[in-house]
Amino acid sequence: MAFFNCDFKNGLRRGGVICALVAAFSAVAEDWPNFRGSQHNGISNETDWRKDWSGSPPSMSWRAEVGIGFSSFAVVQGRALTIGHVNGDEVVFCLDESTGKRLWTHRFPSKLGAKYYIGGPGSTPSVNAESGLVYVLGKWGEVFCLRLADGAVQWSRRLAKEEKLRTPDWAFNGSPLLLGDLAVLNLGKAGLALNQKTGVTVWRSPGSECGYSTPVPYQFDGKQMVALSSEEGYSGVDARTGKIHWSIPWNTRYGVNAADPIFLKNRVFVSSGYNKGSGLFALGDDQPRSLWKQKLFRAQQNAPVRIGGFLYGFDGNNSSRAKLKCVDWKSGEVLWEEESFGYGALSAAGRDLIIISAKGRLAIAEASPQEFRLTSSLQVLEPDCWTAPILANGRIFCRNSHGKVVVVDVRAAP
Amino acid sequence: MQNHAFAVGETPNRRQFLKTTAAAVSFPFLSLSANAVKRYRTALIGCGWWGGNIVREAAASQRCQIVGLCDVYRRPLQATAAEVKNLNGDQARLFDDYQEMLAALRPEIVIVATPDHWHALPSIAALKAGAHLFVEKPTSHTIAESQAMLRAAQASNRVVQVGLHRRIGPHHRSGMDFIRSGKVGRIGMIRMFVTGDASGKEQPAPNTPPPSGMNWNQWCGPAPWRPYNRKLTPGGWRHFLDYANGTLGDWGVHWLDQVLWWTEEKYPQTVFSSGGRPIFGPAISTKEEATTDAPDTQIAVYNFESFTAIWEHKKYSGNHSEKHKIGAYFYGDQGVFHMGWRDGWTFYPKDDKQSTIRQKPQFSDPVDGNNLKQLWQDFLDAIDQKRTPAANIETSHRASVLPLLGMISFRLGRSLQWDGQREQILNDPEANKLMRRPYRKPWNYPKG
Repeated sequence: MAFFNCDFKNGLRRGGVICALVAAFSAVAEDWPNFRGSQHNGISNETDWRKDWSGSPPSMSWRAEVGIGFSSFAVVQGRALTIGHVNGDEVVFCLDESTGKRLWTHRFPSKLGAKYYIGGPGSTPSVNAESGLVYVLGKWGEVFCLRLADGAVQWSRRLAKEEKLRTPDWAFNGSPLLLGDLAVLNLGKAGLALNQKTGVTVWRSPGSECGYSTPVPYQFDGKQMVALSSEEGYSGVDARTGKIHWSIPWNTRYGVNAADPIFLKNRVFVSSGYNKGSGLFALGDDQPRSLWKQKLFRAQQNAPVRIGGFLYGFDGNNSSRAKLKCVDWKSGEVLWEEESFGYGALSAAGRDLIIISAKGRLAIAEASPQEFRLTSSLQVLEPDCWTAPILANGRIFCRNSHGKVVVVDVRAAP
Repeated sequence: MQNHAFAVGETPNRRQFLKTTAAAVSFPFLSLSANAVKRYRTALIGCGWWGGNIVREAAASQRCQIVGLCDVYRRPLQATAAEVKNLNGDQARLFDDYQEMLAALRPEIVIVATPDHWHALPSIAALKAGAHLFVEKPTSHTIAESQAMLRAAQASNRVVQVGLHRRIGPHHRSGMDFIRSGKVGRIGMIRMFVTGDASGKEQPAPNTPPPSGMNWNQWCGPAPWRPYNRKLTPGGWRHFLDYANGTLGDWGVHWLDQVLWWTEEKYPQTVFSSGGRPIFGPAISTKEEATTDAPDTQIAVYNFESFTAIWEHKKYSGNHSEKHKIGAYFYGDQGVFHMGWRDGWTFYPKDDKQSTIRQKPQFSDPVDGNNLKQLWQDFLDAIDQKRTPAANIETSHRASVLPLLGMISFRLGRSLQWDGQREQILNDPEANKLMRRPYRKPWNYPKG
């Protein structure tokens, strides 16, 4: 099922034809056009990649330096995009996907914002493959629309200033969500939407601070909706108008709601760190109804992935006491925990977890509710790795907070 | 410096707590009715990072019922209430005004974990209302506030514990025993230090309206009002001299307290401090933007009768030329003893053919690296047994005075002669004036 979910519009470049023709029997390669991938859930459909490294460890496709920060990668049409802070500028890097060669950069002056951490931007560029345009939200509320081909600026906004938005303690970290002709941003209490073509504000939400999650699309009652976090909870809004449909109060000590919510069939899962925990809620015509809440899974920064009725992700704040855990979607019960990584971040491809520990160990593991099953692992970077590694077209893109990038070649043998 | 761990750091973890207690009781609060342990009606003023740490220990001790929480910022207030409820089922009443809370609840124990400029008034009010007091370090922002707190404590016949948890940490205790055993020899000098990893000029941040739900005027309270800036909260007020005393006040008090714990002398005779912001650059405070204003570089020399103690901090440079990043070196004629934090203690004998002796730390909270659990237990035991607690108000007041004296010398740029008996600076009316400061209206400086 998931196989056919591959996003033909934004996603498949080389694999698209194969995917359509040979369907489930074949392997696909897949682009990764935005934060958490084309399905906005942290899971790639890619199947044709080498996960067992016992025979020979994978080679490194390339390395690069992209500045301080936690931005992940968007990989589209042979180009890999990310952001980093370099000497007083935020820099958008467009690198060749297979060689790491710098194709273009776009810089703008910015502050590091090293408030109790190394600082730098936290959002990931989003690419509209159809229009060939890249959307970037800078740390302090600047938005740029750039041409994928050459980085030429199509339009830009200074939204924090222009829309008089309060900047949260760790500034703006959600990535743009490209939906129809809108770019939806986690700014303000419950989002703000721009016209992708013009950059004009289509709707905005009142009130104060946003959270740190990326807007996630979902359907309700046949309508296109978007979910966002604020400093005090999560909300679902109508994508067309920005009208708030529901709010889940979700208060944490420092107002940090960073993990993207996860949707399935009118259920929404939310989680935060700082001792907060997780909850599953049922969506209806009224406010969401709590199905369960627990304190044993606390996603501080990255949301878990949901595979086959189970959630896999990191519990706890960024310290060695954090753990990888598997949580039952239906009950909230923790089924297993794995201590060897400490803190880390992950994404998935099919039924395989792609994990990096904060200390830079890249690992592949089966998504199994029975137990933690390690397939392969390899030390690839120095600390701190809080950015989830992502798989695109047979390569795993990893970075650390200092901006060191390692791209691991896991393409299947020809 | 101490707060570096916290915003993206973490807080003690309930599961850990459950793990350690689950064997004894399936749910911590269910066992209470059966055993009828005396539970002190406890209230917290200041629900930030450290206030949360303390009140969690209070709740986890099973000897306290958390009846009230107070903060001028709604968000941490509500988050703390949820944590307390989860820990032991207590439904605390929430307040934004501590006087209202004291009047409404008459708590038996009050925890004060506000920024330094807000220690004295609620502490004295709590003691006057008959509560035992747990107040954070340093005891106050200016010396005369701490003197007033000391007198209020002495008049109250209540137990006061100050949050100097290094007085009770296992490796601090064993380290003190080691020094006192004579193996370090005769100690002539102590060097206390903290080094950070910052670099470059400090960039100002724009002043903004305060976060929604924060009563900013009340937050500033008796201290000078200034526009809200995100550098101030959470935790950043440590580096603004109107509300705290920089790294010397925050970290220095811990190590100066260790010195006073070790020596039989009660106070130094002279104090001199010097420093500035050579790396961060001049402090900025305009209508539009601000930097912090605490020194990035500071030394303070405390001359005692039988030894000299030196404080030294640099918020930059790292410290790879030395084996330790933080702590206190006790230099004896038999070697160097280092009292540290996460590195425990280490003794380097003078004769380098002899082997180094080390002791690892043991923390009740390994993530934040503290021994609050033991300090809280000691506080309750002291109340039960009507005895003096480990970090009592007398010694903690004397320890807190030392960084505050250092900051006066730093401001004036000259040595101070300290009459520790009468707690006055000798022959320097200008310096004596800085032992207190005018309060902003309508608050009144506490009377001694």
